[in-house]
Amino acid sequence: MPGPRTYLSPVLGACALTLACLGGSFSPAAAETRSYVVSWFSMATNSNDTDCGPGGPNPGVQIQYRKNLADLGYTPAQIEELVKKSQTGEGGEMFDILRNRGRMNGKPVSPYIYPATAIDSKWKAIVGKEAYGFNLDGKGEATKNGFVDPETHEKGVNNELYRAFGCYISMRGSLEGRPTYWAWAWGQLKDSQPAWLITIDGADLTKDGPVTVTFDRALEHLKSNVDGSPRADATYRYDSDPRSHNSFKGEFKGGVLTISEHGDFHMLQNPLVVPEFKLAKTHLRMKFKPDGSLTAFIGGYQPWADLYFSFGSGGIGIEQCITGDVPGLYWLMRKHADADPDPKTGQNASISATYYIEAVPAFAAQPPTPKVAGDAGER
Amino acid sequence: MRSFLSRTAAMALVFAAAGGLLACSADTSKQTASAPAAKTTAVAKDAVYAPRQLTMRRLSGEQYQNVIHDVFGPTIELGGRFEPDLRVNGLLAVGSGDVSITAAGIEQYDLMARRIASQIVDEKRRDMMLRCKPANVAAADDACAAQVMARVGRILYRRPLTQTELQAYVTAANVGAVKTKSFYSGLSLSLAAMLSSPKFLFRTETAEPDPDHAGGWRLDAYSKAQQLSFFLWNSGPDQLLLDAAESGKLNTKKGVAEQVERMIASPRLEEGVRAFFIDDFGFDQFETLTKDTTLFPKFSAQAAADAQEQTLRTVVDLLIKNKGDYRDIFTTKKTFITQELGAIYKIPVVDTLPNGAPDTWQAYQFPADDPRGGILTQVAFTALHSPPGRGSPTLRGKALREVLLCQKVPAPPANVKFDIVQDTNNPLYKTARDRLNAHATNPVCAGCHKIIDPIGLALENFDGAGAYRTTEQGARIDTSGSLDGVNFTTAAELGKAVHDNPNTPSCLVSRLSAYALGRPVQEAAWLEDLNKRFAAYGYQVPALMREIAESDNFFAVKPVETKAADAAAVPAKEAR
Amino acid sequence: MYDLVTKKLASRRNILRGTAYGAAFSVGVPFLDCFLDGHGTALAATGAALPVCFGTWYQGLGFNPGRWIPSTVGAGFKNNVELKVFDPFRDKMNVISGTKYFLDGRPLETHTTGWQIASMGAIPVGVNTGPSLDSQIADVIGTRTRFRSIEVSIGGGRQSFSKRAGSATNPSEPSPASLYTRIFGPEFKDPNAAAFTPDAMTVARDSVLSAVKDERRELMKAVGAADKARLEEYFSSVRQLENQLSLEMQKPDPLPACTVPGTVEATKDGPDVPDAEKNAKIFGRLMAHALACGQTRVVNVMLGSNGLHSVGSQQTWHSLTHEEPVDDKLGYQPEVTWFINWANARFVEFLKELDSVKEGQGTVLDRMAILWQTDHSYARTHTMDALPIMTAGKAGGRLKTGMHISLPGDPATRLGLTMQQMMGVPLKTWGALSNETSKTVTELLA
Repeated sequence: MPGPRTYLSPVLGACALTLACLGGSFSPAAAETRSYVVSWFSMATNSNDTDCGPGGPNPGVQIQYRKNLADLGYTPAQIEELVKKSQTGEGGEMFDILRNRGRMNGKPVSPYIYPATAIDSKWKAIVGKEAYGFNLDGKGEATKNGFVDPETHEKGVNNELYRAFGCYISMRGSLEGRPTYWAWAWGQLKDSQPAWLITIDGADLTKDGPVTVTFDRALEHLKSNVDGSPRADATYRYDSDPRSHNSFKGEFKGGVLTISEHGDFHMLQNPLVVPEFKLAKTHLRMKFKPDGSLTAFIGGYQPWADLYFSFGSGGIGIEQCITGDVPGLYWLMRKHADADPDPKTGQNASISATYYIEAVPAFAAQPPTPKVAGDAGER
Repeated sequence: MRSFLSRTAAMALVFAAAGGLLACSADTSKQTASAPAAKTTAVAKDAVYAPRQLTMRRLSGEQYQNVIHDVFGPTIELGGRFEPDLRVNGLLAVGSGDVSITAAGIEQYDLMARRIASQIVDEKRRDMMLRCKPANVAAADDACAAQVMARVGRILYRRPLTQTELQAYVTAANVGAVKTKSFYSGLSLSLAAMLSSPKFLFRTETAEPDPDHAGGWRLDAYSKAQQLSFFLWNSGPDQLLLDAAESGKLNTKKGVAEQVERMIASPRLEEGVRAFFIDDFGFDQFETLTKDTTLFPKFSAQAAADAQEQTLRTVVDLLIKNKGDYRDIFTTKKTFITQELGAIYKIPVVDTLPNGAPDTWQAYQFPADDPRGGILTQVAFTALHSPPGRGSPTLRGKALREVLLCQKVPAPPANVKFDIVQDTNNPLYKTARDRLNAHATNPVCAGCHKIIDPIGLALENFDGAGAYRTTEQGARIDTSGSLDGVNFTTAAELGKAVHDNPNTPSCLVSRLSAYALGRPVQEAAWLEDLNKRFAAYGYQVPALMREIAESDNFFAVKPVETKAADAAAVPAKEAR
Repeated sequence: MYDLVTKKLASRRNILRGTAYGAAFSVGVPFLDCFLDGHGTALAATGAALPVCFGTWYQGLGFNPGRWIPSTVGAGFKNNVELKVFDPFRDKMNVISGTKYFLDGRPLETHTTGWQIASMGAIPVGVNTGPSLDSQIADVIGTRTRFRSIEVSIGGGRQSFSKRAGSATNPSEPSPASLYTRIFGPEFKDPNAAAFTPDAMTVARDSVLSAVKDERRELMKAVGAADKARLEEYFSSVRQLENQLSLEMQKPDPLPACTVPGTVEATKDGPDVPDAEKNAKIFGRLMAHALACGQTRVVNVMLGSNGLHSVGSQQTWHSLTHEEPVDDKLGYQPEVTWFINWANARFVEFLKELDSVKEGQGTVLDRMAILWQTDHSYARTHTMDALPIMTAGKAGGRLKTGMHISLPGDPATRLGLTMQQMMGVPLKTWGALSNETSKTVTELLA
């Protein structure tokens, strides 16, 4: 099989010749530059049969609804009547009740917008020992309840988001066996959400050495092949919005690329996942595959309220279709959040998380600099 | 009477004239390498005289559409489908003189005709389209119907209607109006009847004695106009050309030259040049082209469409816009691309339109040292002449020989096994060259493969979907070979060899003249004359088109040769 | 040559092939509405076969990847596990794999966008939607019947994808009893007894063709022998058109298999599987009788748009596709798969009903073409690549069957285009943007 492809020569060659007509320019020439477009993005999951403890994962939403109704004081007979009506399309009464099952000053409110007003359903979190991720807090083995990364076997891995979400049935799966929620979200977004671009600069990317990795948003969405697989060698333009630009110094060593700068990561994203995707103390581990594509884990501390409200804004629709109990996510993340304590309450505002990325080779181009009114000749 | 048999024989002659029928004996390298064009020494002017039989060619789908849009505007929707065309002697244009209209076809023509006619008389359009109004919309109106049918008829029939014809259509409009109690419905049905008349759907021709060739015949002025416009514009004659026919100007050399100059200077020439190359390159075969998407996931329906358009744009830009040398289409580094093609060529193509907008075309120039350049290295050629799961030096070599050099390659003998050639995972024979060598141990096969493969193997750097590669199964691809005694090592050098091959321009002359006349040109002397003129004009295609269009032979015909026509070898002209 | 007026329409294929130029251009397909050389009995009065009919079956939520695509293409394929249930009808069906719906940068509205492309060939802009392919077809083959089309929904609700231009929807009938009354109630007229008035436009077309006959014929005098033979074929083709018109001006032949089915009792029409199963069976029977009695020529079936759920389970098929984990050992979602199998069994049952109405040597199914489509290829991830599509019936001989056709990466609209063309809708292309296609699936054309 061919090794990872180098885009240097086509990029430079094309650039020299077609700059004028293309109206764009390509990444500044390092000795070697490779660009990729992200072709899969999800929480890094590795579910197994025992990781939710006895009784297995959390129940489906239809069962949860009965519990919610019971918690609100409905009798079993009333509950059956409500459920039955909801299923024959004769009445949406059950949904109205559930949609307003929060209680604020005794009055019904939306449990999605005001999750703290909903009864904590005390859903399960992961009790297993393994999770992909990074030693974010630097404590290593000293971390209480730290995970072991199944790939690197590093101990003291912080990935409390996985702990919080991992027993929701739609969030369960492995890297290849895509969790249903993330498969759904990706299927929903890939053909319309602006793609993410990864650009790697280094002296010679076939050898160990220092590198720079940048993450940007593209102006185009991911392009697909005839069979729906991500298309290699397509061209994308960088979105010049600085809110989606990230650059990290790092190194390529022994076939693995990691970063040595652990600053913030930020990316505008489709609200379905989160309006602005943010990580603090970013960690990255990336590998090139023989077919020219790459896989990566990216981790850090993520503000969990942002994440919650992305689910919460989907309301009962998201709850029904995707996740199960939506306010339950709030309670779980609040409980397992492990960074950025509030100075007064001590409640952590961020939660450790790790995401899994796949990407295929692409061309990435700078868009032409916008002309500003007042520029010479532009009136 | 023509038959397929005689056509084949005729084509053999053409091949002989242009490039030669390849013989596949076990040792043919010398013969084929030098197979000379049949040379004729300088001919007297009379020897070039080459009258043809009158033809009756069915309008192609594009021609039908062009005529409708020329007459009634581009917003008219056709709907419907056209009958499949027939390729005879390598050209659909020649096959158009052999096809008829089946029952399924007439049903489509009838549906289309009624749909088009109803749009013409539609309340939104009728005032603009029709220059008269009936006295009573619920009744027949002779005067208005006659006015409309005469005007439309002149364009659809490419000549004025006879009194009998006009009367038939007025009667048709009237009976239609009576039965439907609507003038416009009646008119619409009469228009529809004209649109599915054989006089519209077939390009019939009329002959008259040729004063310049004693005892000879030529097309009459309207038939000349029709032949000129379909050749140069791929559509029916416009008003100016019909006027030139009516005034008799087309019966003078000067009058013809004036019209030809006008038509060649028109932007519509591009439509004519495109139509020829679509036919010449066999792009209709893209309709049935399939690729194994596991192996070639980028080869989408859009990519296939863009690939054809890329080659056409390359050719039109070079030949018309830049008035270039035809032979340069095999070497030019200039082309046009879209994002869809960019992914296959692995070159960046920045588009500035929103997501989901159709791809835009951008000019692109391959670097001087890039292995790609010329139409042989474009996706349209390499992918079209490849089976679904691999590239094929044999198919590509054969296409190059037959389509671009006019050399007939015999079909493989029956009962030949192709297992080795098709096994692209064969660990012993990793590259196509290895496999073909193994296959060609049979001397019967070896003869032909020697002619075809060396040129096809030069394109092995392009996989079955046209993407560039340097290895196959890890083994380096060797692209060296030779064409008619000229050695090369790369696809670019193959392009140069084709560029320099004397058969390249003479093949175009042969095919373009066959396209123009709807029959293979058998007169070596005339071809020779055209070849000389083509060379003298620096191999400019519009100049060659002008030479063909202004030639006496373009209009010279033999009288109809049937019993039925004995009484009137040439149809008696009715009063027009 | 042939004289169709006197020779009748024993076999149109012979006519197409028996021409001077032989098979070289007998590649067209007969699209005539009335003249079918299928298995319908050729009836004494006119020699015409029974009219062709069309149906759609919309069944959402796709299939499981890896469990439905047959391993070989072309004829003689073996049904994969999820389609095994169709084995008895394999020779009257086609499986089409590999096609896509294209978004062109528009947002994916799950369980909506796919249906729009399947039924209308495009993602509509604003509310000005339609027409759907079935109504285009109904405008060609269904103009002389009592109902231009009949829509039913299995599992309740009045949702329908049958749309006319300008967003007018033909709503589905969820209740078999209501459908019975609508078709076979007091308004029902025995088609074999009803009076007949020819269509004025048809009469006019016939007269116009007569008026220009001599004008066309004149051309024969001006051409050589070879071209004369070609014109002869043209005129022979025109005679078929004239024959079609003259048939349309006569009272249609009696429908041999028309019987009025027994009364249908009111049933519950909700999304509970047992109710839906019972209703599906009655619907099938009623539609078969309606088609046999010439009450309509187009039927549209919508299955499970209202959230089907099995008794005892608290979840719907749809919610299961999102929540149910993939069983590691099985490799698919077991409960979802149960629903897929259940729905496929309903389609088989529908085909059985249509095939059980015998008309001479053939059946109602034999003169139908049914297009089976879905919204997502794999509901769990809402993908719209590698979509399953099926056809059933032989369309009176127009539709070739018994094949698995792989069209990877092509727009799914190729099937919609092909079906419309097969039914005589004058279309060269169908769909919009990337979903636009002019490529007929010629393998399907007999």
